[in-house]
Formats: sequence, structure tokens, C-alpha cells
Amino acid sequence: MATLNLRGVKKSFGDFEVLSGVDLLVEDQELVAVLGASGSGKSTLLRLIAGFEKPTAGTIELAGKEISSVTKVLVPEKRNIGIVPQDAALFPHLSVSQNIGFGLAGWSSKDKAARVAELLEIVELTEFADARPEKLSGGQAQRVALARALAPRPAIVLMDEPFSALDAELRTRLRLDVKAILKKEGATAILVTHDQEEALSLADRVAVLRNGQIVQVGSPTEIYNSPVDIGIATFLGDSVLIDGEVKNGKVLTRLGALNPLNKVTEGQVGRVAIRGENFYLLPNPKGEGEVVGQVFFGHDAVVEVVTRGVKIRARSNGPFAPEVGMKVSVWVRGSVNFYPV
Amino acid sequence: MRKPPKIIVVIGVSATLLAVLPVVYLGLRLFEGFDRALAELLRFRTLELLGNTGLLVLAVSVSALLVGFSQAWLTTRSTVKFASSFAVLAALPLAIPSYVMALGYMSLFPKFSGFFASWLVLTLATSPYVFLGVTAALVRIDTATDEVARTLGLGRFKVLTRVTWPQVRPAATASVLLVALYVLGEFGAIALLRYDTFTRAIYNAYQGSFDRTSAAALALVLLLITLLIIWLERRYRGLYLANTKALGKRLRVDLGSWSWVAMAGLTSIAVFGVGVPIVSLFVWSVQGSASLDLPMLLDALWGSVRLAGLSGLFIGFFAIAIALWAVRYRTRLGAWIETLSWATHALPAVVVGLALVFFGANITPWIYQTTWMLVIAYLILFLPNALAAISTPIAQVPKDLEDVSQSLGVPANRTLVKVVLPIAIPGIVAGVGLVALTVLKELPATLLLRPTEANTLATRLWDATEDLAYSQAAPYALLLVIVAGLPALVLNSQARKALSEVRG
Repeated sequence: MATLNLRGVKKSFGDFEVLSGVDLLVEDQELVAVLGASGSGKSTLLRLIAGFEKPTAGTIELAGKEISSVTKVLVPEKRNIGIVPQDAALFPHLSVSQNIGFGLAGWSSKDKAARVAELLEIVELTEFADARPEKLSGGQAQRVALARALAPRPAIVLMDEPFSALDAELRTRLRLDVKAILKKEGATAILVTHDQEEALSLADRVAVLRNGQIVQVGSPTEIYNSPVDIGIATFLGDSVLIDGEVKNGKVLTRLGALNPLNKVTEGQVGRVAIRGENFYLLPNPKGEGEVVGQVFFGHDAVVEVVTRGVKIRARSNGPFAPEVGMKVSVWVRGSVNFYPV
Repeated sequence: MRKPPKIIVVIGVSATLLAVLPVVYLGLRLFEGFDRALAELLRFRTLELLGNTGLLVLAVSVSALLVGFSQAWLTTRSTVKFASSFAVLAALPLAIPSYVMALGYMSLFPKFSGFFASWLVLTLATSPYVFLGVTAALVRIDTATDEVARTLGLGRFKVLTRVTWPQVRPAATASVLLVALYVLGEFGAIALLRYDTFTRAIYNAYQGSFDRTSAAALALVLLLITLLIIWLERRYRGLYLANTKALGKRLRVDLGSWSWVAMAGLTSIAVFGVGVPIVSLFVWSVQGSASLDLPMLLDALWGSVRLAGLSGLFIGFFAIAIALWAVRYRTRLGAWIETLSWATHALPAVVVGLALVFFGANITPWIYQTTWMLVIAYLILFLPNALAAISTPIAQVPKDLEDVSQSLGVPANRTLVKVVLPIAIPGIVAGVGLVALTVLKELPATLLLRPTEANTLATRLWDATEDLAYSQAAPYALLLVIVAGLPALVLNSQARKALSEVRG
């Protein structure tokens, strides 16, 4: 059953159209990531679902009930949704437990205490129950914010770039935590983010938002392997674009005849998008490529190679990456996506 | 820990002694004549004064809180139109000394006097303090907390009471205590409006009889109540919440059709707080312009400016030394001196004036009834203001610069003069200016201690009002607003900050 259903949702501020017709379905217990660059309308989308903004067109349904339309917007407090803001936004005047229990107004004190204790355990902060928010680290604060949103068992949880304020290492850890917490609670959730790695690693499905429209929805592997257009392909990962033409079911390029992933028609002209990890470099004194640059990351490295007049960026095993000035042979492994022009 | 230069120690300690000794002396004198003082106090009159004062303090505190909080919330957190203009208007009564505001009203309505009149005037005069304090707290709240609360089932009004209010409560409490202190020490407006509180009774007891025990005993009671409120204020000031981040995104509540009600409310407060008194004084000034004694006015203006300038420099001199000591050399004695200097903060001017009368007449007759006596009174009253204004620019000079200077061979003392003070000088000048303008507006201590032939704008205004010569008093009142009130408001960094943040 679809928990959340957006149909043709539009939103303008004055003359500026932020969302121009968004359709999105979120199934029960599903975690959907809305991926978009800054200014793509991600936050506006969340604010519409939460009821803080009124759509200029379209409808939003939650659990089978219409909660937003052009004429009627159900107030946020009656929607049964939870939100996790970017910076946690814990109530500074309340303790951690009081923050988590804030939305449990109608509950008996016994049930309330049990629910708060349960959530404290799930987010592994039991020992901080009586702490003040300012005593928490960024990651702890985000976990409390998530527990607070989950406490009243909302129909859906909305997360607005919940990891962006954290440092890289903590971010990776907390992502796994959050995914586990959401699954344990059986919660339905939407996460908006500009970080493709975050969206791909966390979500059951990813929806790519661009210029106020959702341009592709799919599982992380679908989105990564088969971007529907060249824009998404470059947005999702470092890609090199090379001109090519379809001949005998293959795409002829300066780097050779490549296998297309998507459906192609004979004679089409266009470009292929080749990801860094698709290149294979072999040091070869007689090779046609020359290494012109290298960025070392430890576990891997990006090697810049000029070959047959094309500059490519290849991912290579860090410790064994060819060095600047070396001659290499270049192969393209696996299939590539072809985009006709 | 670095040792402060000797000169700073000498100046700092002497300022503190100057500030604290007279008040201590007042207490000692009373203790000597304890029986008589007690007899003075154990009268029904004392109870009556206590009741009157308490009622006024309480009533003004509540109404100033309501007015100031509403102004702050509407201008920072709602979609009310012209929010930043209304914010300026909400702070504007700060430019009008409360006795000038009282004069504006009483000259317009002959029967304007007593409790209600005092309550109205003091509410209008003090609500800007609450407005500024609450505004500063409101703009620091991350409004995302409001939205979270909405999704957790709270309606708009409940968000205000359960999320917004608890977060501004410490600031609001501190502001209200400030208002309470203000009302407790207020003399001019209350005396003009003939409402019987401690300050008026002390002044009358002093003026009306040769036995000053009664005045001193009442002053001591007032002092004790003041200390109680200061103690309360200190307790609550510590409770400011650590705000996670300053000035996050700020969302405003859409008032819809209530916007007009809000605008009407904000407008009427501005009309009562600024419009009515200023227009009234203006009309009286025009009416009396034919008989205006211009040389007398200019003489009073010169007297005011000279006194304010002298006092500003005198107080600034001591404040710089104490601020340097407290901020740049964190020794224990320095911290003590700073705390003691703060202790005189909010002492009622009537009490300070009276203490100096006793001290001057008995211990230092050679400066009694000279300008210096007044200057010392202002030092006691306004050293805390000067410290607050001057400490910040001095603290903001990076410590690294001092280290660099000393590493380049300039000794510590010369580094202060060559590096720290020149960088801090704009802030210091603003601080001294602010103190001078505050001196310009001071009334009760000036009345108690003025040398017989010395006249200022404030004393001329007072004398004319006592004779009910409103058209004579009005030009002095307007001039006070123009030369003291408005510039002080402009220099007031708290006001500047709050107003710019409303716009933000």
C-alpha cells in the first residue's frame, strides 16, 4: 500500500516556480531518498508534505487521506508525520527524555515512559536520558531528533539533510545507524539530500529531483547503472563523456567499440558516459596513453590519462596506481550507457 | 598570570572605594542611631509606602512584560507588515526620560496623577527594555523547533506557550527584573505624578525637615529591597540557555486577518509612548515661545553639556583602568574590583544622592556642594554602564596582537598604550559618550547634590514643573530628548543589535 502519494504537486513563490509537477509514491515501510542539487526544491517538497506550505497545484495523500490540495491544507499537528531537521533542532529547554516524549501528549504516563525508554534504547542513548541537548554531540543530537520524530509512530518520517552538519566519519556511521533504527521501527521515511553517496547507500529507492521535477525513480543500482539522461549520469558519479556512433549494435568511439547497456538503434549518433571505475589501465611502455595527473586517496586513486586525444579520469587501486609520466594502455571494462543527441 | 601595571591597580581600587564608601557610611550612620531609625520605620507610613511601591513595581513589571513581549514576538516572528519600522518605534521611548514623558502627559491632562498615571507612564518607558531583551532571545531560537513541535501535535498557540516561551523565559525574566529595579529607583516621573513611593518620600523627607534620619532610614529600606531584586536578577541571569546556533533560519507565523489587529496594537503603543508626550511638549513649547528666556535655556544647555562631558571623562578614565584590569589581566583582585563596581549597578539614585549628602557634609566638607560631589555621584551610578560599554571593545582586541607586540620588544605597559587602546578607541569613545548622555538625563541625584547656582536642563525642567509652568518646562524637555535621548538610543549597542536583527 502506498503510504504517501504526491500527484502533480507544484509550488511557486511569486513568479518563481520551485516545483513544477512532482509525482511520487512512497510505499509502506519504505525509505525513499530524494536526491537533488541545492536549489532543486528538495526542502520545499518536504515542507509541502509536512503542511508548512500550500501547493499551487496538485494533491498530497497520506495513508489514503488527502492532506494537501490547492484549496485545503491540513495543519501540521494533525498530519501524523515526524520531521528530523538538518540541525536536529532539539528543544533546548527540555532534557533528552522530555524531547523524545514531547509528541506523546495523549499517552498515559506509563505508556509514555515505556515508549521513551524503548526509543532511548533503540538510539543507544539510555545513559543520556536526563542530559540537556547542549551536552550532546552532533551525532547524538541527530539520533535524539530521530527518536523524537519516531515516538508517536508517525505515518511517515521526513528527514531534511540530517547528516550534512556532521563530519565525514560520523556521517557514515550514523547513516547505518539511522537505516537500522528505521527498519527496527518499521517506519516509512523520506530523506532529502544532495549527497549521491548518501542516497545510494541508504535508500530503498532514490528519486532524482531536478529543476523542480522528479526525473528518475528507481533502486540505487538502477539509478547508478542506468541513468536516464546524461545529466543524471554525471551527477551520480564522475563520468567521462565521449562521442560515439552506433554500428552493428556497438558504439564506436575513439576508445574502441563499446557495449551499450541501454537500447540503441543502428546509425544513432550521441555520447557515452564512462565512469572512472570502468577504465582499466595497464602500464605499458608502448601504450598510447600517458598519465598526466594523479590524485591519491589511499584506498584508491584517480588517474588522469590522455589517450587518442581524449582526457579520461580512471579509478585505480591506490597503492598500485600508475604515476605521472608513465605510458599506459587503456581498456573500457563492462558496458556503458549511450545517450543519443 | 600576568601582573597588572601599578597605575591600573591604584586607579581601579580608588574608583571602587569612591563608589562603595558613601553607601557603607550611610549604613554605619544609621546603625549608630539604630533606635531612632527603627522608630522612624515602625510607623504605618512605612507600610503604606511599601504597599504603594510594591504595587507599582508589580503592575509595571507585568504590563511591561506583556507589551514588550508582544512587540518582540510580532516584529520578529510574525508576518505583521512594517515589522522593522515597528521595531524602531518599540525602542524609541528609550530616548524619552520618564519624567519628560510624565511631563508630556500631565501638561495635557490636568488630573493625570497617582497610581494609574505612574503605571501608564512607567509601562511605556520600560517596555522597551523587555522588547530589546526578548527580541535578542527570540532571534536566537532556531524556528525549526517550532516546526518540529507542530508535527508533534501542537497548535500555533501551544507552540508559543510550550516551545517559544520556555526558550525566551530567562531573557524575559532578566528584563522584567531590570524593569522592577528601574521602577523601584524611579524618582522624577513618580514625583511629578504625585504617587507616594519610597523615592518620593525620601526626597520629601530630606527637603522638608532638618532631621535627616527619617530620609536615611527609608533609603536603607529601599536599598534592601533593591539588593533583594538584584540578587534575584543575578540568580536568573545565570539561566540563559546555551543556544545551539545563533540566527538560524527564521520563519514567521502568518497572522492572516489578525495582522490588522496587531498593527493597530503596535501603532497605539507607539502613539502613547512617543506620539502623545512629544506632540504635547511641542505644542506647549510653541505656545510658550514668545516668553522663552533664550539665554537661560542656553545657560542650562551649557551647564548640562559641561557637567556631562566632565563626568563622562572622569568615569571613562576609571572604567578604562578597571576594564583593562579585569579583561587583560585576570587576577583575583581585578575580578573582585569588577564585581564591586557592578554592585552599585541599579542602586536608586535617590539613595546614592542621600548617601553622598551625609558623607560630604560630615567627612569631606571641602567638596560638599561643589560640582565634584555631583561627578562622584555619577561615578557611583554609572560606572557599571561605562564598564559594560568599555569592556567589550577592550576584550575584542586579539590577545595575539599583544603577544606579537611584546615579541617585537615593546614592554607590556607600552603595548597597552600603543596597541590595545588605539584599537579599542572607537568603542571606548562610544561608551564614554553613552555615559555622558546618561548623566545629562539624570535627575534625583542632581537635585540633591547640585551646587546652588548650577543649573542644567533637567533641573530647570524640574523647577518650572514644580511651579506648573508647563510652557516654560516644555522646551527643556524637548531639548533633553534631542541632545540626550536620541543620541543615546543611537549609541546603545543592545538596541542597535536588536533592531538590525529584526531586519535580518
